[in-house]
Amino acid sequence: MSNEENFPKAADADIALLLESTFPYISGGVSSWVNQIIQAFPEIRFAVVFLGSRRKDYGNLKYALPDNVVHVETHYLYDDLSSHGVDVVSRPGDAAVFSRVGDLHDAFRRQGAVDLSAFDEVTARMMHGRNLTLKDFLHSEQSWAFITDSYRRFCTDPSFVDYFWTVRIMHQPLWKLTDIAKNMIPVRALHAVSTGYAGLLGALLARSRGLPLILSEHGIYTKERKIDLYQSEWIRDNRNPFQKDSSELSHFQTMWIHFFEWLGRICYDSADPIIALYEKNRLRQIEDGASEERTCNIPNGVNVGRLAALRERRGEKIPPVLCLIGRVVPIKDVKTFIRAMLILANRMPVVEGWIAGPVDEDPAYARECREFAENLGLGDRLQFLGFQQIEDLMPKIGVVVLTSISEALPLVILEGFAAGVPALTTDVGACRQLVYGLDEEDRALGAGGRVVGIANPEELADAAISLLKPDNWYAAQAAGIARVEKYYSDELMFDRYRAVYMRALNHACVPGADFAPMRCPFGG
Amino acid sequence: MAGIGFELRKLLRKDTLLGLLQAYVYAGVISSGPWVLSIVGILIVGALSHAVVEPNVLVTQFQVSVTYLIASSLILTGVLQLAFTRFISDRMFEHQENLVFSNLNGAFLVTFAAAGMFGLLCAMTLFSGFGVVYRILMLSGFVMLCGIWIATILLSGLKRYLAIVVLYASAYAIVVCLALLARPWGLEGLLAGFVVGQFVLLVGVWLLIARQFHSPQFISFDFLRKGVIFPSLMVIGLLYNLGVWADKIMFWFYPDTSTAIIGPLRASLIYDLPVFMAYIFIIPGMAVFLVRIETDFVEYYDRFYDAVRSGGSLTHIENMRDEMLYAIRQGLLEIGKIQMLAVLVAMVTGPAALKALGISELYLSLFYIQTVGASLQVGLLALLNVFFYLDQRRIVLNLCALFVLGNVLFTAMTLKMGAVWYGYGYCAATFLTLFVGLYLLDHKLGRLEYETFMLQ
Repeated sequence: MSNEENFPKAADADIALLLESTFPYISGGVSSWVNQIIQAFPEIRFAVVFLGSRRKDYGNLKYALPDNVVHVETHYLYDDLSSHGVDVVSRPGDAAVFSRVGDLHDAFRRQGAVDLSAFDEVTARMMHGRNLTLKDFLHSEQSWAFITDSYRRFCTDPSFVDYFWTVRIMHQPLWKLTDIAKNMIPVRALHAVSTGYAGLLGALLARSRGLPLILSEHGIYTKERKIDLYQSEWIRDNRNPFQKDSSELSHFQTMWIHFFEWLGRICYDSADPIIALYEKNRLRQIEDGASEERTCNIPNGVNVGRLAALRERRGEKIPPVLCLIGRVVPIKDVKTFIRAMLILANRMPVVEGWIAGPVDEDPAYARECREFAENLGLGDRLQFLGFQQIEDLMPKIGVVVLTSISEALPLVILEGFAAGVPALTTDVGACRQLVYGLDEEDRALGAGGRVVGIANPEELADAAISLLKPDNWYAAQAAGIARVEKYYSDELMFDRYRAVYMRALNHACVPGADFAPMRCPFGG
Repeated sequence: MAGIGFELRKLLRKDTLLGLLQAYVYAGVISSGPWVLSIVGILIVGALSHAVVEPNVLVTQFQVSVTYLIASSLILTGVLQLAFTRFISDRMFEHQENLVFSNLNGAFLVTFAAAGMFGLLCAMTLFSGFGVVYRILMLSGFVMLCGIWIATILLSGLKRYLAIVVLYASAYAIVVCLALLARPWGLEGLLAGFVVGQFVLLVGVWLLIARQFHSPQFISFDFLRKGVIFPSLMVIGLLYNLGVWADKIMFWFYPDTSTAIIGPLRASLIYDLPVFMAYIFIIPGMAVFLVRIETDFVEYYDRFYDAVRSGGSLTHIENMRDEMLYAIRQGLLEIGKIQMLAVLVAMVTGPAALKALGISELYLSLFYIQTVGASLQVGLLALLNVFFYLDQRRIVLNLCALFVLGNVLFTAMTLKMGAVWYGYGYCAATFLTLFVGLYLLDHKLGRLEYETFMLQ
């Protein structure tokens, strides 16, 4: 079912999953989680709304669609950005409407609580073509006046053409989103699996249709976008060498960050409950503008029973294999793992490094990593395996490694624990919580592996040597198994989400239900 | 675009009076060379033949025949002139130089076929009572002129002005020599001289292009493909040439102002000569136009789009826009000043000139007003050129339509109002079109950044 024409279509559905660049086209933690949730609730009819950048950025489906996905629509926000050009004519534009757009931007620029009435009015106009169509944005004189005025007042980068195109590229997808919101099939509740564009779509739908919006954030979207932006070379920076301070972002990077921050704010304002994976992220959400009483944690869970069977398939000896399980992309910092393998190669003659994960998401980075390993002369001691089934992989490896510079709550660590494999990870996201435990009772279970600093191959190599010592290893294995069974089973997660879904669906059934906070079913 | 602007700037950079003078003389020669040479050539042939060719009316018949050939071929090829030049410059921009020569041959073939058919039809009907030799000479002259205009405007588009002037000078030298030698054969002799000269010119321009451009095919018709040819340019070319000739044609066929010269061809003795003389007086204006547009305006035009593309600040972009507008204003103002002088010179030398040509002094005022009208036409030409640079084809089209309508309407009115008003129609039409054009230019440039950014 890779053909979009073959996607199931339905007249309505229970819950719409709003997915940005994940399931079913991209494999990875969030996508597996979505797949897991859909399959856990066969009685709920799901609609999947996939938002992508451009069609050509995605290959075939990475997941078979479960039967209870009754409706799928895919939208590409950055396709045909430049396919206009025919019958482009000048139009005056409505000054009053653009003045409201100005109010909205002024509200964004002020810190603190925001009155979203301007947002509702502006998006309603966008949605229903009332004097604020895409053409009004692209071609009207009022729009030009607005853009040039903003440039003069706020832009610190001299290049007008770059400012102009940043504004265009940033805003143009918003009309696609209002279109999607307008035309989506009727559903009873919304579930956005990130903020960003998917979260904004959730907010648009929730506010225009009066539907409950559930937000589950795995990572923190704005934080991940910031990392992308720091690394991006496509965003122009026209400051001269005297003005430039490399620790300071270019104006256009700042524009993008503010933009994504506001997508998040709007989504937080419209969602209830706002679910984080772990405590650190929940606090971050509050810091970013989420109201505390709507937030809660629901950690990921794994099918402990199924994975426990893999422990039987392990051999007598501890395999001297460090396996990085994850997509080969910059955020996973695969190069630090490769560097650590070079250090280890000199100190432990038998150790091997495997990299198990798809290489097709960022082919240029994957090629760089391969060339890097070749140049270091690692030979067979470092292997790129591509995507692997967990069931095949886990019995053959000694340690699950994560070198990411950013993570949420990586399932692969829990899967490793359940399968009897300790973890060696960087201190990001929930990793410390998973390896060492959260509260007193949890910590008493012991360490399920080691946590090291990011981008530190020396420390990683030391920790690997220590962890591979049989005494340490067996202790870590036992601690990992105990922790995953007690806190991170999928049954626990499903029970919690069942409660969230039931509340949302019941809430939606009550006629005239207001948008009062529903209260998160679980405290902090 | 480099060629001519570069040459002129080099001369101007000398920053001496002589350098300035050189620049303007150079500009004057290359911008008005072809038509001055044609007019002068035909006048010389006429003047030198008066004593030899008997009866004298044959000389007039020769001049009128050639005038009709030039007017009709210009109007007919107007359809293709601009559209084809645009096609070529677009291909040059895409670095597809290998399409130039084969498409020129294609354009020649199309033009020859159309002109040949039209000419043959005229020869069979309107000129059925004439001798075979006259008809063949007229037909071949007509077809070759059509080809020459296409090649000339192509070479102007390529900024090969100097080559054009040299070729025209040689061709008309041949015309004058041969016509003088062939005087004993009367009208046919003079015409044969003219036709041979045109043949040399046609082969010359063709060889010039053939030497610069090479094509894998000898002939191709890419320029006719839909999407690459601009229909608006075809209409503009036709309308502009119609506009220029409308008043003259009306004077030729209005009974009170014209006489039958040869067969269906009529001429207006009182109107034609002052008009041709007036055109001589716009050479300084043309020179200023070329210098100002090709140096100052183009410089800021380039800087404007450079600022847009390569990240200039909005203030800088607006400054360049203002400089561009200033360069246009200065250019038009200078054309105005120099043409004012030209009109004064025309007034001073007019009586003597008319006397020498044997025209009644009653038509002096007609000559003056024609000089004013022709001066305004230089301004209009400069303005249209600016609009072409800004790729505002719709505006140019409307202006040309206004020019044609105005010229026909006002000329008709003056013909009714009487001899005192002759010439004012053409003058009023150019003035009106120029005035409307300036207003539109002001409006257009005021929103140039908006249109550049938002209408893409």
